Amino acid sequence: MPRTLLPGLASMILLAGPATAADAPPGASSCTGCHAPKKVADSVIPRIAGRKASDIVAFMREYRSGTWPSSVMGRIAKGLDDQQTEAIAAWLAAQPE
Amino acid sequence: MATRRHFLKLGAGAGLAPAVALAQRKAKIVVIGGGFGGATAARTLKALQPSLQVTLVEPNPVYTSCPFSNSVLANLREIDQQQFRYDGIRGAGVTVAGTSATAVDADAKTVTLADGNSLSYDRLIISPGIDFDWKAIQGYDEAAAEKMPHAWKAGAQTVLLRRQLQAMDDGGLVVMSAPANPFRCPPGPYERASLIAYWLKIWKPKSKLLLLDAKDAFSKQRLFQNGWAELYPGLIEWVPLSQGGKVTAVDPATLTLTTEFGAHRAAVANVIPPQRAGAIAAQAGVADRTGWCPVEPVAFESTLRPNIHVLGDAAIMGGMPKSAFAANAQAKVCAAAIVKLLAGEKPQDPIVINTCYSLVAADYGISIAGVYRPNKGQLTDIPGAGGTSPLEAVGGLRGQEALYASSWFRTITAETFG
Repeated sequence: MPRTLLPGLASMILLAGPATAADAPPGASSCTGCHAPKKVADSVIPRIAGRKASDIVAFMREYRSGTWPSSVMGRIAKGLDDQQTEAIAAWLAAQPE
Repeated sequence: MATRRHFLKLGAGAGLAPAVALAQRKAKIVVIGGGFGGATAARTLKALQPSLQVTLVEPNPVYTSCPFSNSVLANLREIDQQQFRYDGIRGAGVTVAGTSATAVDADAKTVTLADGNSLSYDRLIISPGIDFDWKAIQGYDEAAAEKMPHAWKAGAQTVLLRRQLQAMDDGGLVVMSAPANPFRCPPGPYERASLIAYWLKIWKPKSKLLLLDAKDAFSKQRLFQNGWAELYPGLIEWVPLSQGGKVTAVDPATLTLTTEFGAHRAAVANVIPPQRAGAIAAQAGVADRTGWCPVEPVAFESTLRPNIHVLGDAAIMGGMPKSAFAANAQAKVCAAAIVKLLAGEKPQDPIVINTCYSLVAADYGISIAGVYRPNKGQLTDIPGAGGTSPLEAVGGLRGQEALYASSWFRTITAETFG
């Protein structure tokens, strides 16, 4: 009986779903309201899914400091500390481009 | 026996006792309301956990978006560009019940539908948008709205108000009335005044717009007022509460709006009445005496009834305004939190962002943003973040923000309905 349990267990853990998607770091899921995960026609807002995490972090730091001019991004970047920004950037980088 | 212990240990390691895992996979989620909150929540739940049974209850086969409907009034867009069907949501594996919810039994965890069926749920999401308080302004009832449209639920009302504007003689007075806080889309009345003025300036240049307001301050106020002075000098007159702006009664037969200080007769009247959460919220017992729905700030679960989450305009979301962006962002947080709760885990404290663009003219955009997190039981502004566009625009910022506005609309409608 223990032997037959094992395959059931494996499938159960797999079926429990992609824990990573529900585990997006705080703030990450809001990004897609403007930054489309898939290509949207006629949008001037850049897509950021699949971009290098270090690039996203660098942009966010420059938005936050005002070194790089922005409209809303500077105001949003100021709401996230370095650790939160890095977590969001890593998560975005891991999303399909 | 050793293997069995190993099994249990593994189960615990994955955060799921086998019984919980099974229950979680079969869990039923019902979502009432197919707007930016409900539709996003339904499809996000399915994307996060395809084994969930998700039913979206929405009587209208077509959703008509309020964001950008002010551009329809100004002839910059057609109403069909505002309209979205639910095929994409069905394609994502969500069952769409094309009927309305008539009752919620929070104890039995069931929703009764207008078609006579009933749905049971493990978790219910209510995202019904707003209803109007038809008793707030004397004389302003549903029949009066056919003469003096609110156009605050987009669709036939939007088309009616546009037709009235187009039929008006040049030199006519357009009178708008804006409600006290809180209400759907805080900058909306002022964007509407702006875009009607934009259209009047081109097509009916002798006309004026009077904006009667039940409050003394409003969202993005200085940006709007600077824009009005720059683009429409003398065309828009804003009357705040303290100067008699609160409309207390209307007469639809003569298109007269009465305030505490006097009466104004309009050629076209747009009355945006006071609002509350959509009626099903009160029926379900999740609305409080204010007419809106208190929720906790992590999973947006009602503080009045367990296992019912409330999203979007209907909810009291602390510092977050009632916007489409906010509803969509809250929905994604709520969906992830529900997946955690079904697994017997504690959802993490979220960070939720709002971004809201308004048009002062076709190519003149302004914005407000905010970043929110739970603090003392409420979603609260993170200090130092957020705020509006700068008062002094450099480098074509207003034009750029107008482009961002239309890009945002295409993106969020694709994410929600596409």
